[in-house]
Amino acid sequence: MMVNLKINGKKIAVPAGTKLIAAAEKAGAEIPTMCYKKGYPHFTSCMICTVQEMKSGRMLPACSLPVAEGLEIETENQTVTDMRWETLELLMSDHVGDCIAPCRRTCPAHMNIPLMNMYIESGKAREALMTVKEHIALPAVLGRICPAPCEVNCRRSFVDRRLSICALKCYVADEDLASEKPYLPACKTPCGKKVAIIGSGPAGLAAAYYLQQMGYTCTVFDKNPQPGGMLRYGVEKSILPREVLDAEIEIIRRLGAEFVMQKSLGSDFTIKDLQQGFDAIALAAGLLSAEELPALGVAAKGRSVKVDNFTFQTDIAGVFAGGGIINPGKMAVRSVGHGKSMADSIDRYLSGRVQMMRLNRALSKVGKIKENELDAYAAGIGALKIDVYDHEFHRLLLEKNNAGISRVQAEGEAGQCLQCGCISFDNCKLRLYSEQYGANSQRFKGEDRRSIERVFDHPHVLYEPGKCIQCGLCVRITEKEGETLGLSFIGRGFNVKIGAALNGSMADTLKKTADLCVEACPSGALAFKENLCRFR
Amino acid sequence: MQSAELNSEIDAIIKSIGGRPSDVIPLLQAIQEKYNYLPEAALRRIRETTEITAAAITGVATFYAQFRLKPAGKHIIKICVGTACHVMGAAAIYDAFKDELNIPEKLDTDRDRLFTVEKVACLGCCMLAPAVQLENSTYGHLTRQKVANLLADFLSSSQMANGPEKYSRSRNGKTNGEVRMCRCSSCLAAGAEPVYRELQNNIQMYRLPVQLKNVGCTGIAYQSPLVTVALNDGRQFQYGKMQPEKTREMLLEHFSPANFISRNTARLTNFLDRYLVSPQDEPVTRYPLDIRFGPEASYLGPQKRIVTEQSGSLDPLNLAEYRSNGGFVALNKCLQNFSPAKIIDEVEKSGLRGRGGGGFPVGKKWRLVAAAAGDKKYIICNGDEGDPGAFMDRMVLESFPFRVIEGMLIAAYATGADEGVMYIRAEYPFAPQSARRAITICEENALLGQHISDSDFSFKLRVFSAAGAFVCGEETALISSLEGERGMPKLRPPFPAQQGLWGKPTLVNNVESLASIPWILRNGADHFFKLGTKTSKGTKTFALAGKIKRSGLIEVPMGLTLRQIVEEIGGGIIDDKTFKAIQVGGPSGGCIPSWLADTPIDYEALTSAGAIMGSGGMVVLDESDCMVDIACYFMAFTQAESCGKCTYCRIGTKRMLEILQRLCNGRGRKGDLEKLESLSLSVKTGSICGLGKTAPNPVLSILKHFREEYEAHIEGRCPAAKCKALIIYSIDHKCIGCTRCAQACAFQAIEMKPFEQHVIISDNCTKCDICRQVCPADAVRVI
Repeated sequence: MMVNLKINGKKIAVPAGTKLIAAAEKAGAEIPTMCYKKGYPHFTSCMICTVQEMKSGRMLPACSLPVAEGLEIETENQTVTDMRWETLELLMSDHVGDCIAPCRRTCPAHMNIPLMNMYIESGKAREALMTVKEHIALPAVLGRICPAPCEVNCRRSFVDRRLSICALKCYVADEDLASEKPYLPACKTPCGKKVAIIGSGPAGLAAAYYLQQMGYTCTVFDKNPQPGGMLRYGVEKSILPREVLDAEIEIIRRLGAEFVMQKSLGSDFTIKDLQQGFDAIALAAGLLSAEELPALGVAAKGRSVKVDNFTFQTDIAGVFAGGGIINPGKMAVRSVGHGKSMADSIDRYLSGRVQMMRLNRALSKVGKIKENELDAYAAGIGALKIDVYDHEFHRLLLEKNNAGISRVQAEGEAGQCLQCGCISFDNCKLRLYSEQYGANSQRFKGEDRRSIERVFDHPHVLYEPGKCIQCGLCVRITEKEGETLGLSFIGRGFNVKIGAALNGSMADTLKKTADLCVEACPSGALAFKENLCRFR
Repeated sequence: MQSAELNSEIDAIIKSIGGRPSDVIPLLQAIQEKYNYLPEAALRRIRETTEITAAAITGVATFYAQFRLKPAGKHIIKICVGTACHVMGAAAIYDAFKDELNIPEKLDTDRDRLFTVEKVACLGCCMLAPAVQLENSTYGHLTRQKVANLLADFLSSSQMANGPEKYSRSRNGKTNGEVRMCRCSSCLAAGAEPVYRELQNNIQMYRLPVQLKNVGCTGIAYQSPLVTVALNDGRQFQYGKMQPEKTREMLLEHFSPANFISRNTARLTNFLDRYLVSPQDEPVTRYPLDIRFGPEASYLGPQKRIVTEQSGSLDPLNLAEYRSNGGFVALNKCLQNFSPAKIIDEVEKSGLRGRGGGGFPVGKKWRLVAAAAGDKKYIICNGDEGDPGAFMDRMVLESFPFRVIEGMLIAAYATGADEGVMYIRAEYPFAPQSARRAITICEENALLGQHISDSDFSFKLRVFSAAGAFVCGEETALISSLEGERGMPKLRPPFPAQQGLWGKPTLVNNVESLASIPWILRNGADHFFKLGTKTSKGTKTFALAGKIKRSGLIEVPMGLTLRQIVEEIGGGIIDDKTFKAIQVGGPSGGCIPSWLADTPIDYEALTSAGAIMGSGGMVVLDESDCMVDIACYFMAFTQAESCGKCTYCRIGTKRMLEILQRLCNGRGRKGDLEKLESLSLSVKTGSICGLGKTAPNPVLSILKHFREEYEAHIEGRCPAAKCKALIIYSIDHKCIGCTRCAQACAFQAIEMKPFEQHVIISDNCTKCDICRQVCPADAVRVI
């Protein structure tokens, strides 16, 4: 018997008993799902597949509802979106894990610190450096002057001691500069478009570093005789030796950026002038004086140039600003981050791609970790609780201002990284949908979070119960595929969790379904260990 | 224990119960019965020797509240935290037990493993609130102070062996009348058992020509234990709140001992007793109740008995008596004169709607099942009454089991089902026993089994003892549980009427709905239809409890107003306090404020007043009840009972509860109310079953009618002076220096100062309220 219904205004007929989700697929409508997987019984748990029946206004879970004659379904509308958004916010409020490690999240330049650590520890210096330079154009410089907000937020700092991330970065950069052939990133073939960068401080240099790689031809203007801005004229030589600064500027020069010194915006040329010869302009001249600012001709707010929070664009199209000129703080790493962000924005502006950047509140965060959670957290990845403070190492760091740690020290230090970030970052449906629907992971934040746990007893699978959204897909997979022990729901209600039946181990449980379960897990609770400790 | 020994014990259990996947709940129940908990080795044995999977065992054992995975103490103290007990101070009783037994915070068992303290949703003894069950005894009207005595009393009495039951009979077998007494769970809790035994002893000792009879409950719970003397000449005398030591006097008032010696013994002991008992020890004098003029007239007057017909006179398990009072007349009428279609017409015509809470027309449901294709159909009697503050189904099953069975038989005949299950809540020990015995009696009398009453109709019926999950009152969850799974609801459609138990068309009806059926078919649908309002017909039972003078189980015609129930039947509020609100429908219902008390008992009227008809919980609240606390109480209940399947119910209710707890703890924040309100609406929309869809109702109804109380909590005030974090105890000048408060305080918060005004040391005060309760001068202030 065929049943007639409408999906998004499209009439279709499907056999009786068909679930709405299959009918929608037939009608060409894609519905997000988490707890549902073709071939396994539906369960109606996550509710992300909710759609609306327009005649009654009812909200229906598409994965489980059998079609009925005359239904009029909309799979996307404001009510549906709002509901999915709230569903995701609720799920996120009980999802305990860090999408991004706290160190990386708080790094103003978003450097991938855990990945760097992983490379250092396994002796892959070049890969470590490439990881660093993906976000930080001047690592040797920052290695000496960065106040390292990342370290303050290092997960370990709440239990024993923070990792010396900045020293590790410095080590990686110094090793590279001292090598025979320092790393020179590949540049795209020049596309012919030109960018003027005003200021050769950390923001300007970083913008030039990335724009050159993207195929733009940069000219850096600076009022001083030598490039470097505050790095050269504001930081003492004893802290930042000039040969280190010069070496990193030299790399930018070698990428093709041109430096025009002792020329300043306002007195030597105006924005209008620059617009004649350049396709885009990046203002990175640092903190301006009360007289200099109005002369620029861009909208200002207080003593700063006003920019869009996401794109760094000023009120004039094609004119961007970053670093001290928009934010009077003195943190060079923030300026370096702005430089990279401006480069990304300019690239999107010049290539006509859509602006996709938005403030990301969807990311899941754990916050402080309790001392008793550390063991569970660190176990299995070789990071041990540090009982003895390594005085020698830290004396060295203080005396030499981070520089000069040995390879053995660096590898040992990097090996203490807990790898807090999520290894399922790229294929976590919960994160992807949360970003898509703009879900705020903190709105429904509960009073007590679930405790952090990492279960390592399976040879290949890492299970993090805190990340589980109790959708039970893995339970149904182990049941259907006939695992002897299988996974089971344990408990009920808010405290329900999924675990091995009869107090078994994960190794006993996932004997033949490990791949299937990991692949199906929508929230990164089950993942392959190898992805966490790829190189062990 | 040796594993071989355990294995053979487990094997024996499996042999007697079965090892199919659907047997897992009864199996685990039997194991727990034997070991007091579920030893892991036993669970492993089940997996090794049956077709039950490991996941099913773990899943089920951890889902139902009844199962324990760790050894419990020798005796389990079940502390009722039902609505009535909650408003009467159950939390303080729980704390008192834990203090008394010295049980550390996160544990539930004392060091000697003698007692385990457990909170239970509702013992169904609401009029005895706060109540506690210990082994087979229930203790009511507890106070913090009585707790220690209770434990001592229990320990001394549990060592006495219980003798076999004795039956009394006068010498020549002739009797002058009956002494009737109900021994349902509520009456037992009120102390019926010692009274019954004393009656037995006295009747035997004096050879009184009287028949002692167990009868179905009158529902006059506030007078429980209630003894009725029914003489052969038709006169009846009722004695309320009977005490064992008073039974002899009462008996001798109405019946003469059979011979000379007995007569003289009686006289002598009576005289001696009067002489020896000092006046102070004399309990409050009891008078026979005069039903015609006393308060019982107004209690019983507005009631109408259909489901509880012949309450107080019918022996629950006497089939002949049930029959001679119209029992099985309806069934025979149906089997002989009516076609199934005609029966469904009648039920539809009666206007009977589901009494479990939903209010779906019963006739319509029957029609759906009757019309569903399939050669095999089931019928389930839903007795998983889990609402805190509701015990109608329990009472009906204990007092009128034949009526329920008759209703099921008629339903089965009408819909074409040949197999049925009575699904009965775990926390009721007596209801399943009563139902099982009634089934056996029916089987022996050709009322169940093949060819019922010489017809072609056959029907098989069994009892399933639930394992403790409120959500199993939801029909799809109930069915999952019968199939041996975790009681997690499924999305409807498909409805059980099409795809129910084992995928077959299944009729699920509530106990009360089924118990109404015989009356309807015996007296005619019109008679039923005449009672009530436009959309709500017949009668409805309620468990009336809370801050009311006369509580108990009542059955009233639809259309009676809440005010009539509170004032006429209930006799008004206790302690001359002000009537504030009436909670109807338990955790799925809402609070109706006193100014809407003229709302009639009617499905639609109750819904529009912010409550629901629900299954019959009715708790009256007075000015000292905090509405935010009530909202928090119900949210805590539903949140704990959520199965955890769908996001909104699992996480949404938890977040709602957290907000409510914040408010009660004085940590409310601006914006909390808005968040609570919007979350409530989302949880209603986004949950797949009735539990989640109705869970926000108590919160919403209180937001609607008592919003200012929520607002006061955000400002850090509790207008009813109930929320501990927001109140302070002090003693004012009225203090006479009697030191009772200081003696009663278990936390050294009051220094003993004879003849001086006492002072409460706030830092030590746990706000347990005992000082206020013991103060004879009303000097304890709560602000």
